[in-house]
Amino acid sequence: MYCLSEEQIEFIRDDISRNGIETEDLQSNLLDHICCIIEQDLEENGDFGSFYSATLKTFYKKELREIEEETKSLLMFKNYYTMKKLMIVSGTFSVIGFITGSLFKFMHWPGANILIVLSIATVALLFLPVVSILKIKEVNANRDKFVITSGTLVGILYCIAVLFTIQHWPGSRTGVLWLITTATSMFVFIPIYFFNGIRKPETKVNTIVSSILLVVVTGLHFTMVSLRPTSPEIKMYSYIQNERLLQQMQKGINNSAREISEKNKLASVIQNTCAEIKGLILRQDIGQTSLPDDFETKNIIINERNVGNDFFNDGKGVKLLAELKEEIIKYNRLKENGHAGLIPVNHSVLSIEPDKISSYSNLFILNGITQLQMYLTNAENALLASK
Amino acid sequence: MYFCVITLIQFKMIYSSELIKGTLKTIVLKLLADNKKMYGYEMTQKVKALTSDKIQITEGALYPALHALEEEGLLTTEIEYIGKRMRKHYRLSPTGKQVSKERVSELADFMNTMRFLLDIKIKTA
Repeated sequence: MYCLSEEQIEFIRDDISRNGIETEDLQSNLLDHICCIIEQDLEENGDFGSFYSATLKTFYKKELREIEEETKSLLMFKNYYTMKKLMIVSGTFSVIGFITGSLFKFMHWPGANILIVLSIATVALLFLPVVSILKIKEVNANRDKFVITSGTLVGILYCIAVLFTIQHWPGSRTGVLWLITTATSMFVFIPIYFFNGIRKPETKVNTIVSSILLVVVTGLHFTMVSLRPTSPEIKMYSYIQNERLLQQMQKGINNSAREISEKNKLASVIQNTCAEIKGLILRQDIGQTSLPDDFETKNIIINERNVGNDFFNDGKGVKLLAELKEEIIKYNRLKENGHAGLIPVNHSVLSIEPDKISSYSNLFILNGITQLQMYLTNAENALLASK
Repeated sequence: MYFCVITLIQFKMIYSSELIKGTLKTIVLKLLADNKKMYGYEMTQKVKALTSDKIQITEGALYPALHALEEEGLLTTEIEYIGKRMRKHYRLSPTGKQVSKERVSELADFMNTMRFLLDIKIKTA
């Protein structure tokens, strides 16, 4: 029986660590094992060096690192079940989310947006990555792994681009995300997929058909991407010019002595309701009820998006719009100066059905209301002039 | 003639590692069920002795399997210090005991099926 010295034990520990056994636990297990073999099988005056290297060689096929890798892959396999569960749970969640979200959207029930956003986020950040990790484990060739990775990347990018677009998050309007998504799909994923699949005779036909379909879908999508999107400020400026025009028109009324009539009172009620509706929208967008004159220096931008929650179902905005419609109909009934003084109710924002208001953009409603105010001011001015 | 004898000795029937691989965890679990507490080297020696060298568990397969079984919660460990060395003794956990029985009966059933599938006639003693 051979007796190992402390130096020899240290030597073995260093050697196995140098040969790729990094896990401490595994290191000490192997160290003890090697020591046992040497102590049992080597004669008292045997040659430690050559016996050790001969023993170590029986541990592996190519290199010692194999044991470390095998341990790691076995440990990963344990996570395999957890990941598979996660894949099924997240997949089921997003499918249910999509179906109920779409139903809610169709029925104009509240919460549709949250459901759909959550579903897309789950698909992009949980389901797709887990599926691709599991798939990568199943394939052996690096090329296949690359196909799966790039496909997943395109899928995630696609989901993120949709999410940004429907939520009107910053950058969504420039279309950069869509450009990146379609470009990655067209120039990275599809070529890798095509050249990888076409090499194998058994997947050749399928690959060609799928690649054509992928190119068609990506191409169709690309046509919807606006390459030179309009700057968001332009739409805001059109609203600002409308506001300024209105102010100019109103100057006339303010400066002249006002005759207090029932119609005048109603006019100012209408103006107030209009201001209230616009305030409701602006507060959602810029945090205050009116656009300050120095908006440029303060860098305030009204981004076009759907009108806020106030215009959903029985929200305050919907009620105010209904009120406004009634007031204007009343105002029109009191008309004294012929057809010219009528404020349009049909073919204007007032003709939007209450349950559809939430799908219009903030700038559209703002402009529509300002337009009504201009009509009103015009009618008032005409009235003043006639007196 | 001598050459033939040597070749025969060299090719003593040792099962291929492929065959061992799928059953290794079951072997370990059964060993621990019968011996309460064991460490890695002891296991390889025990298996060698029990099977008269026909089954030789390689270190490269044993330790990954032990680590995986520990991670799955089937084994508990005890550390013994021998000078500067650390020896890890393995024991079955309560779940390990249960799983050990299941795996052994599963393998027995598998062997019966294989016997049927490969049409192996059992030699009657």
